[in-house]
Amino acid sequence: MAGSVKSISSPVPVTLFPTLAALMLTIGLIVTASFFIYEATSSRKTRSVTKELITGTVASVFLGFGSLFLLLASGVYV
Amino acid sequence: MEKMGFRFILFVLAISFLSTPVISELILSKVERKIDLTSQIVRISSSLKVENAGPNVVSEVLLAFPDFQVKKMAHMAVSLVEGKGKSKGSSINLPAQVVHPDGMPPALTLYSVSLPRGLSKGESLTLDVFTVYTHSLQPFPEEITQADIQLVVYQDSAYFLSPYEVKFQSLNVKLPSSRVESFTKLEKSKLVESELKYGPYEGLPPFSYSPVVVHYENNRPFAVAQELVREIEISHWGNVQVTEHYKIAHGGALNKGGFSRLDYQARPQVRGVSSFRRLIAKLPRGAHSIYYRDEIGNISTSHVWGDSKKTVLEIEPRFPIFGGWRTAFTIGYGLPLEDFLFVSEGKRFLNFSYGSPMEDLVVDNLILKVVLPEGSKDISVSVPFGVKQQEEVKYSNLDIVGRPVVLLEKTNVVPEHNQYFQVYYRFNSLSLLMEPLMLICGFLFFFITCIAYMHADFSISKSSASYLAKLQLDEVQATIQQFQGIMNRCLAVHDKLDASLRDLSRTGDVQACKAVRKLSINLLKDLSKDMKPLLIFLQSSPQAARIWPKVEELVGKEKEMEEKVMLKHSIVVEGYEKKSGGREIENRVAPHQQKLTSLKQEVDDLLEIIDEFC
Repeated sequence: MAGSVKSISSPVPVTLFPTLAALMLTIGLIVTASFFIYEATSSRKTRSVTKELITGTVASVFLGFGSLFLLLASGVYV
Repeated sequence: MEKMGFRFILFVLAISFLSTPVISELILSKVERKIDLTSQIVRISSSLKVENAGPNVVSEVLLAFPDFQVKKMAHMAVSLVEGKGKSKGSSINLPAQVVHPDGMPPALTLYSVSLPRGLSKGESLTLDVFTVYTHSLQPFPEEITQADIQLVVYQDSAYFLSPYEVKFQSLNVKLPSSRVESFTKLEKSKLVESELKYGPYEGLPPFSYSPVVVHYENNRPFAVAQELVREIEISHWGNVQVTEHYKIAHGGALNKGGFSRLDYQARPQVRGVSSFRRLIAKLPRGAHSIYYRDEIGNISTSHVWGDSKKTVLEIEPRFPIFGGWRTAFTIGYGLPLEDFLFVSEGKRFLNFSYGSPMEDLVVDNLILKVVLPEGSKDISVSVPFGVKQQEEVKYSNLDIVGRPVVLLEKTNVVPEHNQYFQVYYRFNSLSLLMEPLMLICGFLFFFITCIAYMHADFSISKSSASYLAKLQLDEVQATIQQFQGIMNRCLAVHDKLDASLRDLSRTGDVQACKAVRKLSINLLKDLSKDMKPLLIFLQSSPQAARIWPKVEELVGKEKEMEEKVMLKHSIVVEGYEKKSGGREIENRVAPHQQKLTSLKQEVDDLLEIIDEFC
């Protein structure tokens, strides 16, 4: 216990969890919606896999962090 | 009572027969003992003045306890008091361990306390010995009715049991009330208010023992947790979650003759004096998300209040607990991470209190589980007292390899064990990103499945007419979408030309307007070049037969519109160059403008029809 003893806190302030969850889930769901709109409106010939993958990745990053913060904000500390 | 007394006599006989001359030249010049019997826990604090009467330097002091007491001993602390007389300074805790020297009587356990420095001839020092015993108060009678008071029996020795000669000693027994049924009367024994005094006795030889029995009223809650499982789960996302599973019983005199709720409700202080109905837990500050439930569900009879230093939780079980009755419940709370988790020299450690936060609770078996985050390594534990240590793995939310769990088990835990212990471990901060990464992978998997589904071709017969027709239709639709895109861009160019005319009327910059026209002509040329292959394909495709006339018409109308726009543009520009009046230009443009408006309408209609086809 000698030497420098520093307390450890969360990398993200606990009070920000609900805001972050709402924000990231909103962005994530909007990108998801655009992904499915693109899937539904483009035909097989005009569809570009790169665009689909980019939209999907962006959506999953936002949804992933959004759902993590949602879990944390609701008290399920993972 | 009879049986107990008999046992004591046997014990004393054994001691007196087997005691042998003392091996050490130490003497206890003064012993003051205080026995606190006010709660269910027996606390004895003794102050020993140790003197060295022999010629040799002595570095250890022996403390003797009868075996039946040692079995119930929960805690022992020996401290050396610095300074003398009233000005007692700081005290140093000294280690004590069990020893088995030769020539000691059986039925005795000896502890050896090693002194920080040897005690030479003629010197003296003061030791404070503090011991805590559980289950030492025997209810007598063993069964009482609801309205009865609870009487308990405590037995000890009036003399301080020691392998050394004791010159001067006294004993004070503190009782909860002055209601005492009986106590062993020796010479120099008296009861003053709620305090029982024995002594002072002088010049007693080693291993002097004189049993005393106190039979008195004790209605303090005899809350005994037969088992307590405390789970402390660390999340580096900012929380320490504590879950405590209690199995509590009333350890006092058994209830007989049933329980009348009516009597209890009417006069709970009289008809239920031996029972307890609430428990108080002192939680650390910042405790949040507190819950109190059992197998049935939430128990609503609880209150919480707190300040900046602590949080107090008062819980009431579903029913008042009488002697022998049991209840089981769970409490849980979250604590802020920064108060309990620290980092020192690259190692992280949890600093947490071991015992139960409940006041005045005896825990027969305490299992403490520290659940560390997934990916913790090099785990080591430092506990100020002996515990049984084990390690296991727990699977919780979003785990792959499971979280390492340190299991610390101890029997006979009293509030004195609420001391801080440390669990050291190494943890890479990047492991914190494991959980979000898993969630992201989950979502990504979903999206990739969707993409794969949309790209896959699930038709069974690849050569059937309908399948081929569908393929062609897909192609036609794609082409028409492309065509629509180009057409929209053409119309946008028209709009830009119109906009340039408006700019002209505002600024009068003819050159800029001409530049826009030039650019637009090029752009339109390019677009019609792009459109050509699409039109050829649409014309030849049988699937597009239905829509082709509309497309053709649209192309025609667009051409016509283009011409008109250009015409209008040149007229206006010309007018400006000739510096004609605004009205004149307007008159010349008017017929074209009319035509343009109707064309625009037609083009829009056609675009809509084509859009519906897709």
